[in-house]
Amino acid sequence: MLPASPACTFPSVLSAKLIGLARHKFAVIALAAIALCSTFWALLDVLGAVSHNQIFGVASFENRFDEFRKTVRPHSVYGYVSDNAPNDPSARPEFYLTQYTLAPALVKSTAEEPLVIVNFHSGKPDYGLLRANKLALVQDFGNGVMLCRRVQ
Amino acid sequence: MLFVCLAAIWLTGFGLVRWMFPRPLGWSLHNALLLSLGIGAGAGIASCLYFLSLVLAGPNFTVLASVTGGAAIAGLVFGLLTRRQGTLLAWAEGPDVPDVPWYFRGLFLLAIALAVTSFLVAVSNNPHGDQGAWSMWNLRARFLFRAGAFWRDAFSNDLGWSHPDYPLLLPGLVALCWKLAGQESTGAPIAIAFLFALATAGVLTGVLGVLRGKTPALVGGTLLLGTASYIALSAAEYGDVPLSFYILATLALLCLQDRHPEDLRFSALAGLMAGFAAWTTNEGIIFLAAVIVARVVATVRFRGRSGPTALAPEMLWLIAGLAAPLAVVILFKLRVGGASDFWSEKPALVLQHLADPGRWIVTAQGLVIVLFALGRFLISIVAVLALYWYLVRFKVQDSRDRAGLATAAIALGLTLAIRLLGDILFAGNLVIEIATSFERVVLQLWPAGVFLFFLASGPLQLTAAEKPAPRNKTSRKALKPSRRAAETH
Repeated sequence: MLPASPACTFPSVLSAKLIGLARHKFAVIALAAIALCSTFWALLDVLGAVSHNQIFGVASFENRFDEFRKTVRPHSVYGYVSDNAPNDPSARPEFYLTQYTLAPALVKSTAEEPLVIVNFHSGKPDYGLLRANKLALVQDFGNGVMLCRRVQ
Repeated sequence: MLFVCLAAIWLTGFGLVRWMFPRPLGWSLHNALLLSLGIGAGAGIASCLYFLSLVLAGPNFTVLASVTGGAAIAGLVFGLLTRRQGTLLAWAEGPDVPDVPWYFRGLFLLAIALAVTSFLVAVSNNPHGDQGAWSMWNLRARFLFRAGAFWRDAFSNDLGWSHPDYPLLLPGLVALCWKLAGQESTGAPIAIAFLFALATAGVLTGVLGVLRGKTPALVGGTLLLGTASYIALSAAEYGDVPLSFYILATLALLCLQDRHPEDLRFSALAGLMAGFAAWTTNEGIIFLAAVIVARVVATVRFRGRSGPTALAPEMLWLIAGLAAPLAVVILFKLRVGGASDFWSEKPALVLQHLADPGRWIVTAQGLVIVLFALGRFLISIVAVLALYWYLVRFKVQDSRDRAGLATAAIALGLTLAIRLLGDILFAGNLVIEIATSFERVVLQLWPAGVFLFFLASGPLQLTAAEKPAPRNKTSRKALKPSRRAAETH
């Protein structure tokens, strides 16, 4: 039996190669296109969040504590109380931000310390809250930030 | 001044890696890879030196500046003045001739542009990073910078919610930059985050280029840069992206070691990178242990007859590389770091968690969901990679890569398994832990996973051009009869 001539096998070899080339091109272009479109979509999401002011403002939070931060000394310890509702999801992040802002002082989420930072969102002191936590006002730093001391 | 600090840190690392793998200066894949590795090496060295200076001499500016400056000068002397010729790292020959198609280069450049734009938009609106950054990483840096002699307050148990047991590569680096610049700024953590993301993409693209060729390198790089949640995680200023760099660098260097078994410096540098992974986060410590086990198993099993004989010297160099950073980690854990919330759990509760099938099921479910939703791709990346595999297939093109592939697969699998086991045993609220950290844990391993995937995938060809036949008399003579036969028939 005579072997198949090169002229007969050449087109099938070529077509197999072209099919492989098409598969590879499709694989690569699909992967790259999905990756790029996904990144672009995520970028639009971020831009949308920015335009609707959905980004948590660390700088604006820090600005409220600016005056108080100037009085902070290393190795000092403060308690922390706020007028957030108990189930308010922003309560914990605000406590962390307060610690971040007032570092290197240590801030504990309790009213049991001799000196306690009070964070009022309304800007006006809630004396009922202070009395409930046995706190007396020491200094009002404005923007709802107050330093209080624990009273018996 | 920040730029000068970062340049000094980078110069330290680049000098070291160039001293280990010298080539003439100039634009080449070899030097681009060294630039990328140098970022991570420099960051790790600078952070370790900062911590040691802090422990031994306190927050003394003169000491810190001298140590950092001395390291940079040493890097300059060793790295730039070396005249040795080392192992060359060049583009592997691929089937695409003469080069990768222009449109694919364009896609890669577009991926870079989109990634950089996404990063810049994210950090311009969130310069302090995400919650984890200002409640942990940058918080620690602030204590180190602001507290003066009371820098150990950064690890107070009163800050137990901020993981005071976590190693200090990232916060130490940020605090060092602030200290040398003389002021605190959001520029330092942003620049460091950007450099680590850039270096990760550089190492991935570079090493794939050496091992597989230009096309798989650009595909892998495009995929990593197109992972939206990875870029977002980088902009969040967490320690996960630096860790992912060190994991990728370790595994990539071990693969290069298999290609160049005579040059044991690859193992030494891999050990150094693994050590810096341990200095970055607690997951890095898990990875360090996993990669040692993986390397032993893979070398013995997949390197053939030369495996056992090659194992001892390679492991010695690997351990020599990781010894210094590991010593720093041990010093930190024993003398400085705070209590870990993991080990605070009662043994009875841990056993109860172990025996609770519900926790195992929830963890498995969480992992599956995270894998399918990974990266915020418009179509699940698992499905996309499965399609890619179907069209291109896996094929280990070079038998020398088997051990490296096995090392990577075993190390990544072990790291993930141990990390998840830790959550099952110790996490108080497993559901919250899954929701807040699972994706980050997987993203820590993502660049190495992409590397593993493209290392294992088959040869990739995007152009129809044939490679030119080798020009010699034998081949010309061999061609002639078949050409005559084709013309006759």
